[in-house]
Amino acid sequence: MIVRWVCEKDNRKWIYPIKKCLYCGEPVKKQVGRKTKVIGLTKVNIPSPLHPITPYNIILLEDEFGNRMPKKTMKDYKIGDVYSIEKAKTDSAVIITKIKYDLGESLKESLNLLNSFDIEKQDKVLIKPCIIEPAYPYQTSNTSPKLLDEIIKMLKDMGVSDIIVGDQAMPGNDTTASAKKSGILDVCKKNDIPLVDLRKSQYIEKTEDGMKFSIAKEIMERKVINVPVMKTNSQLGVSGAMENMLRVVDENTQMEMFAVDIEKTLPKLIKALPKFVTIGDATIGMHAQGPTLLGEPAFMNMLFISKDPVALDSAFSEVGMLPTPEYIKEATGINEYDAYVKKLEIVGDELEAARYHLKVPDKTASAHPRIKLIDAKSNPLVFYTALKASSKLVGLPGHEINIAMGKFLTEEMVNGKKRIIAYGTDAINKLKELNITPIAEVPEDMGDIEKLTLLKSILENPDKKSVSVKDKMKSKLAGLGAKIKGAF
Amino acid sequence: MYYVKGVGMTKFGVHSKTSQELCYEAVMEALEDANMQLSDIDQIIISKGDSLHDGERQRLFQGVLSNILGCEDIPIFRVTAACSGGGSAFWDAVHSGKKNVLVLGVEKLSPCLTKYLTDEFMMAAERIYEQTEGLNFPAQNALVAQQYMIKYGATSDDLALIALKNHENAFDNPKAKFYKKKVTLDMIKKSPVVASPLRLFDCSISVDGAAAAIISKDKTDIKIAGSSLYAGRLSTFESPDMSTWEATVLAAKDAYNEAGVTHEDIDFVEVHDAFTPVELLSYEDLGFAKKGQGPKLIRDGTTKINGSLPVNTSGGLKAKGHPVSATGVSQIYEIVRQMRGRCDKRQLDRTRTGLAHNVGGAGSTVTVHILKNLGG
Repeated sequence: MIVRWVCEKDNRKWIYPIKKCLYCGEPVKKQVGRKTKVIGLTKVNIPSPLHPITPYNIILLEDEFGNRMPKKTMKDYKIGDVYSIEKAKTDSAVIITKIKYDLGESLKESLNLLNSFDIEKQDKVLIKPCIIEPAYPYQTSNTSPKLLDEIIKMLKDMGVSDIIVGDQAMPGNDTTASAKKSGILDVCKKNDIPLVDLRKSQYIEKTEDGMKFSIAKEIMERKVINVPVMKTNSQLGVSGAMENMLRVVDENTQMEMFAVDIEKTLPKLIKALPKFVTIGDATIGMHAQGPTLLGEPAFMNMLFISKDPVALDSAFSEVGMLPTPEYIKEATGINEYDAYVKKLEIVGDELEAARYHLKVPDKTASAHPRIKLIDAKSNPLVFYTALKASSKLVGLPGHEINIAMGKFLTEEMVNGKKRIIAYGTDAINKLKELNITPIAEVPEDMGDIEKLTLLKSILENPDKKSVSVKDKMKSKLAGLGAKIKGAF
Repeated sequence: MYYVKGVGMTKFGVHSKTSQELCYEAVMEALEDANMQLSDIDQIIISKGDSLHDGERQRLFQGVLSNILGCEDIPIFRVTAACSGGGSAFWDAVHSGKKNVLVLGVEKLSPCLTKYLTDEFMMAAERIYEQTEGLNFPAQNALVAQQYMIKYGATSDDLALIALKNHENAFDNPKAKFYKKKVTLDMIKKSPVVASPLRLFDCSISVDGAAAAIISKDKTDIKIAGSSLYAGRLSTFESPDMSTWEATVLAAKDAYNEAGVTHEDIDFVEVHDAFTPVELLSYEDLGFAKKGQGPKLIRDGTTKINGSLPVNTSGGLKAKGHPVSATGVSQIYEIVRQMRGRCDKRQLDRTRTGLAHNVGGAGSTVTVHILKNLGG
């Protein structure tokens, strides 16, 4: 598909979506060419950061209107070949699309490539974006409001009238405040679509492979379009189609899933849910220390679409040249889902041609270079409050401290580490079990100010072997002082 | 009306010198050549690209230049236009209205790893259609060459002859990267394929360097008779005919009109041969050959140094070297030096009218300058 915006009066053309001709003021029409043939080609042998694998081919395509575009491909074409994209053959196919300015057209074209898009106009639809924290759209923590708007527009054009948008923010964050800052609330209001905080839902219990899930009623009763932001995740490796569905269960279930082992329970949750289609938002995407604000925008300009969330996450991690996350390996073989890349059916842009080198998250990194994390699958509340605390201490000089989290801590993980802080009840108990004495203990219910004061004093004092009663009093007083201040 | 007073240029190549030092060297030579002092200058226009990988981390280069030249009382204006930065800076100077203007182009590319350089250059291409599809500049120009070959029957051998000619010229240019370095047709034809059909020797070489020119309203022996700049579409695949770069055609037409000359009056040319097919296309877009007839000029020796229309006597971007923002000004340097009879073994007999053609992107931003030799 080649898209141009054309002034019919003087035949000027633009690759950008504009409304009126700048010369004559006449409205501009969209021209979509679908009959493309190869008119030129080159084999490129020099790698660059955006295109690290060589050789690759670039074919020059021309459509029935004479419009052209270059296309990267690993396949060999000849001049004169017809270029066409076949539709998906299976439910596990992943559509990869590099967006060419027109997000709406790219979305429609991509969904048309599915073997079937199983939503009819009489269906009740829930769009499940990613709304995890209060962040602006450019920060890419949350689903792009533009993409959400295009999905709603497309559904309305199809005649679907019963649409809701639903999610819950990460534990500790407010869903509405997150939706507001991300621009998602505005899109809902503009389209007269209710935003449902799934944290306030009624929950339906479902057991899968011995694991009990309390799932939001709306998820079970509606056709679901899952719209995650495609990101790296410093705990799980990837946040995508599967991880985004974590927040359709209540907080207790989420905590339990981490307590049991998130890498094993996440595939079980996917199995417990009714089937859904995922539109993976890589319009920008996130990499490095995602999936929260510590991550960086990746500027991928792509969509990943599939009815198979395991295949989608697998394709994304391959495109991003990331190590395959454990939860994807665990998910291989559940139902018809298949994560083996070699068996993936990729439609649209070729996987090899879409490769985009993403920064792999450093699992030990926090916001402060001297604060290291030893994360043993801690739950999101523990993990992200630790990250938040470290970000408040950025810029302070200090000496290395190691924050140990999660109930899966092992001797091997803490061996050789000095100045360990047991962060969260799981870590406190586990270190006791391992007979390791931390320099300090930070339980979940410790107040933010108290926590920060404590961490700051340990960070700044290299000789601190343990936290004294005086330290504890100081931090408690700081916390109390903040509370009193707040009261006034 | 403007005239060229003096020119200066560092050797193009791999330097241990900083950008500041390169600037200083080129400016000093230009001042001495013009028999002027910095206090005579009313404005400075500098062209330099931005790099994250050159190790210098100097984005506000006007200030850096002010430091090295010690000239706080002279307005300094910076132009960036990728490979056409030097030509664009020169065009700005000609349109500045100031009496004496120093134009300077500088680039420090050698510390950048090739992969980063390829990536940084690619930022001069369109992001969504070109960069994401891997269309770096060798690939862009490879597609252009192929379209030309399909349409007009040119061959890779024609491109090889262009490379050979420019290397032969650089052999005798002490300021060229390939000075005294023998390159044979066999070496060119056997060099590795970078982006088919282009081989390594079809591509210019990225180097460090600076070039400076001082222009003035005071009459000298060299008149800037025509000065034109056009910014065409960023993406060459959008052109109705990829084998013609419309911005070159328009800029040439304007410059000829302004100078009151036609292509037949041009004695010698410095063409933007970032890739050999660009030189081929430019023969036609500048009017020296009809469409499809460009290869004839290289096959019959017209554009060789002893031909009737010598092109790239300096060695061009191909063999003199291509320090991006300095290139356009270095073309002026060569023309002025030819007109003043200072090119030793490369010295041409006829130097009445010379033309400099500088391109940014794949045909996007183009400058054409026509200089007339009033002295000879």
